Amino acid sequence: MIVFDRVTFGYNAKPILNELSFQVDPGEKIAILGGSGEGKTTILKLIVGLIRPDSGRILIEGEDITHKTEEELNDVRRKFSIVFQAGALFDSLTVKENVAFCLREYTKMTEDEIDAKVRELLRLVDLEPAIHLMPAELSGGMHRRVAIARSLAVHKPIMMLYDEATAGLDPVNSDNICNLIVELSSFGMGHMMVTHKVVDALKVADRFLFLEGGTVVFDGGADELLASGHPHIRTFVDELRYQPKVSGKR
Amino acid sequence: MQIRPLISSLQDFYLLSYHGFLGIFRRPFYWKDTLEQMDYAGAGSFFIMALVSLFVGMALSLQLAAELAVLGLKMYIGKVVGITIIREVGPVVAALVFTGRVGAGMASEIGSMMIGNQVDSLRVFGVDPIKKLVTPRLVASLVMLPALTIMGDAISLIGAWYIAAFVSNQSSYVYWSTVRGVLDFQNVFSGAVKPFMFGYLIASISCYMGFTTRGGSTGLRTSTTNAVVMSIIMIIISDFVLTRILLYVLGYKT
Repeated sequence: MIVFDRVTFGYNAKPILNELSFQVDPGEKIAILGGSGEGKTTILKLIVGLIRPDSGRILIEGEDITHKTEEELNDVRRKFSIVFQAGALFDSLTVKENVAFCLREYTKMTEDEIDAKVRELLRLVDLEPAIHLMPAELSGGMHRRVAIARSLAVHKPIMMLYDEATAGLDPVNSDNICNLIVELSSFGMGHMMVTHKVVDALKVADRFLFLEGGTVVFDGGADELLASGHPHIRTFVDELRYQPKVSGKR
Repeated sequence: MQIRPLISSLQDFYLLSYHGFLGIFRRPFYWKDTLEQMDYAGAGSFFIMALVSLFVGMALSLQLAAELAVLGLKMYIGKVVGITIIREVGPVVAALVFTGRVGAGMASEIGSMMIGNQVDSLRVFGVDPIKKLVTPRLVASLVMLPALTIMGDAISLIGAWYIAAFVSNQSSYVYWSTVRGVLDFQNVFSGAVKPFMFGYLIASISCYMGFTTRGGSTGLRTSTTNAVVMSIIMIIISDFVLTRILLYVLGYKT
């Protein structure tokens, strides 16, 4: 469904991705791991066409999106929902208005219908009582959960994209977010989560990519990841020694 | 500065201001956002604009009264103050105040949206950020800056009258008669055209600078500062160019 074919990308002549190639099939639960600045978030932005590769091709459901116009990319973007790091809620709007944003933009629902739909989505993420709060009044975990509710408002995506969904959260909130991600995947959506926390990746994914030097140095399952002898992967995996027993999906 | 990035930036600025302006005539129309921006830019700027205009008018009147008294021409205070405020000082002062309050706000608001990935969220939702963020601000500036300028001109003239009447002991009747005398088509037209151009420049530059924000708080500081500095420079330059054109069009000999 998603194919990266020798994709190269850099910011201001600084190379980030170097002839990166991988493929993701429909319904896959995948985690992209790697250190800071390795291009994890860049991959998500490339998938939804927020940035364009310097060279190479990106195919979404067999369609090359590399040279699509902004309007043509809207069709591609409807196939995904992306939850940015820290949520990226519109800080001038309440929680309700954030979740209702796309409903107002793309549907002709009445106020009552919008209210009912927003409450339904907020119940899904266990945040209905926060409906009238402003983003500034929410904790980090609540931000992420509202962002997830907002991303599900109009259409059911074929794949959810999470950018560091648990970054900066305490273990309890991280666990809640991971459980929510797993719960949503039971509705038939695949997901791709970018993270540098192996403990969270193991909770939500069954396939792992490890990025280093702008390319994939590891692609495999959990057992292979944990047994990998790659020095950088080992550094990440060793983090698990200091973590409580991995819960959630596993 | 390197030439290629400069040309690229100018091209981006042109496209943003062009599409932002075209957005006025294309669906969807973001009425609520536009009204919010008009409220922020217009009603929100009323007090500061009134205060600044009042003191500018008073200072101008004081200066002119002192000079004209030497020549025995104090009865012309109203005429000179009127022409100066309506044609030149009023629009420029209003634009500078508008830049400091509204332009800086536009740049920092859009800049923080850039840093917080909110603009990317809009794009992912299929919403054109220029239509959603730039067009309402452009409309608000195009409507509110001329309105504020007219209001500021009136308050400046009142401030100047206060000094003329109560400090320089001039007749109020003579002052207002001479002011009324300069409210002809040429002067009013000269002063009325400029705020539209200034409003367009301030909103375009501020929004563009907001969209160029990168990094954290330092990036936000840089883009906001650039928005204010560039707007002020462009106001001063375009004021000169517009004055030259208007004088020519209206048949004045210089």
